[in-house]
Amino acid sequence: MSRVSSDERSGWLFVLPFTISMTLFFVYAIVRTAYYSFTEYDLFTAPSFVGLSNYTTLVSDELFLIALRNTIGFSLIVTTVQTVLALALAVLVNHAVRVRGLVRTVFYLPSIMSSAAMTLIFLWLFQRDGFMTAIVSTVLAYRRHMLLFFVGMAALQGALVLNARRSYEGVSIFDPFFLLAAAFGALALIVACALAGLLPVFDNDLLISWLNTQRHFLFMPVTLWSVALMNIFTTVPTLMLLFLAGLQSIPSALYDAAEIDGANAFQRFRHITVPALRPVTFAVVTMGVIGTLQMFDQVAILGDAAPLASRVTLAYYVYESAFPAGASSRIGMASAAALVLGILTIAVVYAQKSVGVKERAE
Amino acid sequence: MMARLTAAEAVPSRRRLPASALRRRQLAVSAWLYLTFLAVATILAGTFVLAFMASLKVDPLERPFRLYFDQLNPAAWIAAARLGQEGAGDALWGGFSPGAKVDFSVTYAAPVGTTIVEPNAEIPRRRPGSGIAAALMRDYAADYASIALKSSSSAVMQVRDEETGVWEEWQTRTFVYEITYRTDRRNGPWIERTPLNLTAPPSQTLIDSPISPSRSERRGRLLSWDNITPGALGLIFNNYRRVIKETADLQTGKSLFGSWLVNSLAIAIGRLVLTLVVASLAGYALARLDFRGSRLLFAALLFSMTIPAQVTFVSNYLIFRDLSLLNTPWSVIVVFVASANVLLMKQFFEGFPREIEEAAIVDGANRFQVFLKIVVPNAKPALLVNAILAFQGAWNDFFWPLVLITSPPEALTVQVGLLSLRRSYGGAQGDWGLVLAGAFISIVPVVILFVLFQRHIVSTQVTKGIT
Repeated sequence: MSRVSSDERSGWLFVLPFTISMTLFFVYAIVRTAYYSFTEYDLFTAPSFVGLSNYTTLVSDELFLIALRNTIGFSLIVTTVQTVLALALAVLVNHAVRVRGLVRTVFYLPSIMSSAAMTLIFLWLFQRDGFMTAIVSTVLAYRRHMLLFFVGMAALQGALVLNARRSYEGVSIFDPFFLLAAAFGALALIVACALAGLLPVFDNDLLISWLNTQRHFLFMPVTLWSVALMNIFTTVPTLMLLFLAGLQSIPSALYDAAEIDGANAFQRFRHITVPALRPVTFAVVTMGVIGTLQMFDQVAILGDAAPLASRVTLAYYVYESAFPAGASSRIGMASAAALVLGILTIAVVYAQKSVGVKERAE
Repeated sequence: MMARLTAAEAVPSRRRLPASALRRRQLAVSAWLYLTFLAVATILAGTFVLAFMASLKVDPLERPFRLYFDQLNPAAWIAAARLGQEGAGDALWGGFSPGAKVDFSVTYAAPVGTTIVEPNAEIPRRRPGSGIAAALMRDYAADYASIALKSSSSAVMQVRDEETGVWEEWQTRTFVYEITYRTDRRNGPWIERTPLNLTAPPSQTLIDSPISPSRSERRGRLLSWDNITPGALGLIFNNYRRVIKETADLQTGKSLFGSWLVNSLAIAIGRLVLTLVVASLAGYALARLDFRGSRLLFAALLFSMTIPAQVTFVSNYLIFRDLSLLNTPWSVIVVFVASANVLLMKQFFEGFPREIEEAAIVDGANRFQVFLKIVVPNAKPALLVNAILAFQGAWNDFFWPLVLITSPPEALTVQVGLLSLRRSYGGAQGDWGLVLAGAFISIVPVVILFVLFQRHIVSTQVTKGIT
């Protein structure tokens, strides 16, 4: 009995610092945010109770609605693309490569860097006359070359496969050996044509506004597409390593058994790889959702390099309402929007969790 | 291997592929896989390599983007070291100091029939860079240097006409200038940079100089060098030196970037210590001790990991304002709730053998003694991982310093400092060399930490993902 009570007392003493920090900076902070969301407050005069009017203003505030739409769109795009891409790359390189040493360092570099440094590098890449524009401009300049390459490769592959099928059975249309030969053939074709002066180079003096633009693509501003590209670039390598670790823990006997039973590559992927990777996938998606819904740093660093409506997210809307440049704080609005952001995050995470749990139970 | 043809399509007379062909196909598959992997790794590493190369350039936005320039050219490094040695006796960082005698030779070429005239050389009174640095500049090389033509010599060279393919004879002329520190100003100061302007008619082209001109204006008539006495490192890392020196406080002249780095370091170390104490105590209690409310605390911990900082920052800002701790490092150190670190420690202690502790308790030690004497010394791997994560997190933190430290300029952390660099220099016509150099300096501590402790971080990133 004395043992239990001593555990009780030392337990409380041990967690005391953490409990204080948690209570003061988290629990109390959320309660206060909830309270402020029903008041009008500018950080200096005492808050006055205004009921639900902050929420009604919020719903009719165009910037808030834009921020909400941007956030959901961004989160959806980035989480989906990064998960699928990371999984695909991991499955692809699983048996070919063992990622070790320096290569692994390179793969982790984007994720250990600060978002501020990463964003600056990308801002430079995405300048109007910057490197990204130069890449697009080069692609456009050599479009004939590329077209010829793909057409030539397809034609060569077709010819090689048809020829082989005349005498052999079981030659796939994507036969990897012929594909390699076709690629080299097409490359040689291009070099020959270029040397003969048959392929024109289209010079252009392109300027592309990747960031400072009001244009939209699908449902999201172009600016946020650029930021999404950067986010995916930052996270995919790390997530790929996570998936690789998961893949390498699947016993290969499972695959061998399935192959003997006549399962094809896709069936093996569907019935062995996917279920085995479910815990990793769940973690990756959860991290992705939480990370993207609260995307803030990149937007803040962009600053006046892009119009507000093209870059605003919920997290940034909250900050901007609380500390607007050259205007008085609207803490009530900020708190209301913050609560919306918090509830949205929890809702998505728990919805995803319940789906994940259900699938696991199947 | 790819999907096979169905049996129905196959004509009976055909044979299966021989074993050697199948083997070739397997090799081809791995070739494709390696190519894919190589492509991914290239895109990944290439971005950083390119950005780093750009951070060395005079103009990172230049088009076309050159992959080979003075800062990557060993011949230019040697020339720069020689010039730095002659300018200030400092082959590494260069400069211009009393007693300097610098030889700078330039060679112009022109088609036969055009006379090559001596360019008009001057040491201009040019302010370096932009903004604050210009305001801080007191001494100009123009006031202390004299330039004179020492000698000139002529030669001929063969030039192949690009269009006709005919070899032509061109004449060249080399001018050797001597830049000296004026003898009547013997007690003059050390000057960081020696700019040079050369004006010549557009009919003659510069074909050789120890280091390339920084820019050419007026259709190539005016060639200007920002610094002809850079020293080797001064040439290569010019932008890095500038980001330290040119972001200076107007009153004190102290480097802002330097104090940002110091602030970030102080905050990161502070948070590291605090996190280790809080997380190891709480993690141990949550893993081992049975006390009322532990479930609730753990639930709050998990919950707090999903809630963004934007939900809690107003209240936290007010707390520190009421304590008048805004704009101090303490606020940023304390405000962080170390939930993830506690979780990590808890998981570690759950796999920690109980027997040793039990024995010590039977011997009469209390919980705290057990923790201090037995548990902590055996928890070094987990503590190391936690320390690295805490340091990295605090160093990279952007939001809390942005909210809690707003003034004066030298109180910022390096991440928020990068934002102000971006605002001042990162426009369409901005000084991107400075911005990129700042970004690369800011990642150095984390990269060092990562290279030293790579294995530990990698293994935790995985565990962090699985939980």
